[in-house]
Amino acid sequence: MKRMLISAVGALALSATMAVAEYPEKEIQGIIQWGAGGSTDTVMRSVTPHAEKALGGTVVMQNMTGAVGAIALNHVAGSAADGYTLLMGAENPMLYKVMGLGDKDYNEFIPINILARGTPMLVANNDAPFNTYGEMIAHIKANPGTVRFGSTGPGGLPSVVNAMIGAVEGELDVISVPYDGDGPALTGLQGGAIDVMPAVLGAAIEGIRAGNMKALTVFDTAENKHLPGIEAVTAANAGYNTYLPWGPFFGVFTPKGTPDDVVAKLGAAYAEGAKNQEFIDLMEGRGFTLMGISGDEASAFLSKWQQGTAWLLHDAGLSKASPADFGIARPGE
Amino acid sequence: MERIDPEHHDGTSDATPGGEPDKRRPGEMVFAAVMVLASAYLVWNAWGIENPFGPNGLSSPRSIPLATTSVMVISALLVLVNTARLPLDQTETILRDILPVTVMLFAAFLVLYGVLLKPLGFLPTSALFLVIAIKLLARRGWVWTLSVSLFSLLLIWLIFRIVFTVLMPSGIVPEAEVIQFFRGLMSGGAS
Amino acid sequence: MTALMDFLTVFTQPQLLLLVGLGTLAGVYVGAIPGLSVTMAVSILISFTFSWDVYPAIALMIGIYMGGVYGGSRTAILLNIPGAPSAIATALDGYPMAKRGEAGTAIGVTTVMSFIGGFIGIGVLALAAPLVSDFALRFQPRDYMLLAILGILLVGSLSQGSLLKGIFAGALGIAIGAVGRDPLTFAERFTFDFQLLEGGISFIAVMIGMFGVSEALLQLHHVDKDAVRQKIKRIVPSLATVKKHLPLSLQTSSIGVVIGALPGTGGDIAALMAYDHAKRVTKNPEREFGDGAMEGLVAPETANNSAVGGAFIPMMTLGIPGDAVTAIMIGALFIHGLNPGPMLMIDQPDMFWFIVGCLVMANFFMLFFGLTGIRLFTKIVEMPRSVLIPLIMLLSIVGAYAVNNSITDVYWMLGFGIFGYFMRHYGYPLGPVILGVILSRLLDDNWRRAIITEREDLGRFFESIVTSPLSLILFLGVILIFVSQTPLWTWAKARVFGRKENAK
Repeated sequence: MKRMLISAVGALALSATMAVAEYPEKEIQGIIQWGAGGSTDTVMRSVTPHAEKALGGTVVMQNMTGAVGAIALNHVAGSAADGYTLLMGAENPMLYKVMGLGDKDYNEFIPINILARGTPMLVANNDAPFNTYGEMIAHIKANPGTVRFGSTGPGGLPSVVNAMIGAVEGELDVISVPYDGDGPALTGLQGGAIDVMPAVLGAAIEGIRAGNMKALTVFDTAENKHLPGIEAVTAANAGYNTYLPWGPFFGVFTPKGTPDDVVAKLGAAYAEGAKNQEFIDLMEGRGFTLMGISGDEASAFLSKWQQGTAWLLHDAGLSKASPADFGIARPGE
Repeated sequence: MERIDPEHHDGTSDATPGGEPDKRRPGEMVFAAVMVLASAYLVWNAWGIENPFGPNGLSSPRSIPLATTSVMVISALLVLVNTARLPLDQTETILRDILPVTVMLFAAFLVLYGVLLKPLGFLPTSALFLVIAIKLLARRGWVWTLSVSLFSLLLIWLIFRIVFTVLMPSGIVPEAEVIQFFRGLMSGGAS
Repeated sequence: MTALMDFLTVFTQPQLLLLVGLGTLAGVYVGAIPGLSVTMAVSILISFTFSWDVYPAIALMIGIYMGGVYGGSRTAILLNIPGAPSAIATALDGYPMAKRGEAGTAIGVTTVMSFIGGFIGIGVLALAAPLVSDFALRFQPRDYMLLAILGILLVGSLSQGSLLKGIFAGALGIAIGAVGRDPLTFAERFTFDFQLLEGGISFIAVMIGMFGVSEALLQLHHVDKDAVRQKIKRIVPSLATVKKHLPLSLQTSSIGVVIGALPGTGGDIAALMAYDHAKRVTKNPEREFGDGAMEGLVAPETANNSAVGGAFIPMMTLGIPGDAVTAIMIGALFIHGLNPGPMLMIDQPDMFWFIVGCLVMANFFMLFFGLTGIRLFTKIVEMPRSVLIPLIMLLSIVGAYAVNNSITDVYWMLGFGIFGYFMRHYGYPLGPVILGVILSRLLDDNWRRAIITEREDLGRFFESIVTSPLSLILFLGVILIFVSQTPLWTWAKARVFGRKENAK
């Protein structure tokens, strides 16, 4: 009886593999590095259905959280490089090595598409005694050790922004209160638990529009169209030009070794998906800058991003290991 | 003394725990002692948690683990002392009341399941587990056993795999291809 | 006037009505199966409803949410396996009732009380959302920490046997919750250098193991015994019963709304706190708590369903999720081209009233499906144990895997299942373990946030507690409950009230 069953299943499998031979011949797993409802999750779940149409296949998306995304990254890196397991992630893995979180990063992967980049900004509690970036710096210098900055752990966007501020303005004496994501931190900001939060524009924009918090500055080289009248940080201090534009990004990746034709197919599908008007509206509405780059261009972007950020954190004393240990060159060298 | 009603401390409800308030059950001392040792090890381990980005002060990642494992050691020690004071329940034996053969067997099955899940895949491992388990417990004919276990497995698989798209390890069964095959049939029929 | 029209949208469109109904029905089953969670169902629905309009998508999700929160009580009562963390307290008194053959009564009371609780939650959402969200925002890290301590003190009422063993179990739970990389500094805690452990242990896996597998292993002792025949004559509780428990349900619903509205705490904590509250205020229960007290069902079930309305409060007014499910719904709104945030109620008030309407509808459907499908469910319990036990084990395995698609969670689940089996035999309560795991992060993160804010200065820390009215109230609550659980209290009570009682 049991033998019969096994042979029946085997036969079915055989006929199934023979019937379809072209990629994708089965559903594709998309491993999302972050939890359901987060920004990575939302971006991926809104672009993938459009990409599926172009691909003519199904992508089953799963959230795999834990250890700042390292669990998902290791899982995909360890799976077969056949294009049936994709990693849908954000910028963090490029810092795993220097933060001592793992020995793998996106260098083990081929970027299918780097979809978009976010713009960091500084927001403050409405009762904070400063309204612009300049006033904030002056206030911190006049009152050392009193202003509370929100952060999201080492290697997160706030720590990078803080490292930039430190590099440009010199070390500031602030209290850094850690949260486990910019959502909870912005909640804390509105409740007065922290005074200033470096956050991605998309996460803060609705709160600013409603007047629940105030924007201090945009960490970019020019004013943002969503926040007219808020000066770019480079206008306040030209020193930031060295580091900007900088921002967290979202991308779809496949392990190195995936056949070229599969990569090409996936790349075309996601490029097509990212062109969808609904997706574009959605991303622009949240203040993301669409990138849609792939191939060598994406690889170059990734390594430049990693060099700049890793060294910035290292110089600020926030890293666990020197980028040089991993062959990450100092920018400009 | 009469045999205590097993219903009284069968532990099936968390609200009425299986322990006896005034007697020590077989193996209870060992369990309590293991808890003390394990807690002590955890305290030592918690002490080793280092804050990678600052001093190990009140706000370090070490503080709460250290506090909670210390509470574990203290409470486990007190439990051990209390347990040692109680008289042993002479009416019970380990093999009959705590770890009967069936329980040990099933615990072994579960461990085996965990080992086989990845290499063999969800469907074969579960089919094997259900068939053996139900055959063993129900002692009914093969036809009945096979149909009950395979039908329920199919139901569980349909709910989790198809409706909720939970991708259990597929192992030796080319699940995804089979599904794609049916999907192809469906869309072929529809268009 | 337009608000009324928006509110009535769902009632006038048969398609939407149908979707809410379908969602609620599916939710009851999703909630009842341990390991299938509402969070999971809703996040899958995002992809599924991607091409739909926003109204039908939201209608379906709300149905699942409402039904799912309620559904967790089913398996808690019938099998002593909570289908969801928010039903843990329900098992404490629900299962003893089922063991006596009164599962029908238990489910009936649970359903009606969930309905009442649900309505109170929705009512507060509709009438006082901005007020409540203002209040919720006022919670500082130190207040969350005090709230967590208040929660941990529930160990006392969750451990019927030995308090010491309960304390041990609670501390163990907090330690389990700390396993993995610390989210604030990425320090490794209790990982023993295993990469597997870096992601931590999913508390759903712990819960499924301790309640599901260990229960199944215990049931192996009685494989050959026939299942208890369930009397299902009188399902709908009498008006007198409902009236009797109305005051309690109002109190526990308020607990539910507030805890639900606080970002970072949800129905699970609310249900446990409500259970504790019921134990405190009920002077003479018909049956002892833990032995099938009706109050022990009323409290957690009203609280977890009113927490649903509560969770929508910060979501609708501020764009801040009240729990995991509303977090995903925010994502869904976003994908459908809306801008969830504080401006939503101003830009699109129709959405607010539509959601309120859907919730009301889902609540009615929950009552309906809750009171009609009981026979099928009780059939499950009357299944031969020789089939039921292996199935529970298999479902536990799949459920543990499904939480985070991780085999590691399956191993943990099995490990905790076998460990929990011994704990039950030796009289260690399991509830506190889960309580500890749930509260671990809340306590740890907020303690550290609070003390960092005060620059590691304990003096300033206590000063900040004493000078803030909210913190002070919570702090006094902690002290009061703590003292009332220690022998000191009985001694003091005997000194103060002793003479009066003697005089009587």
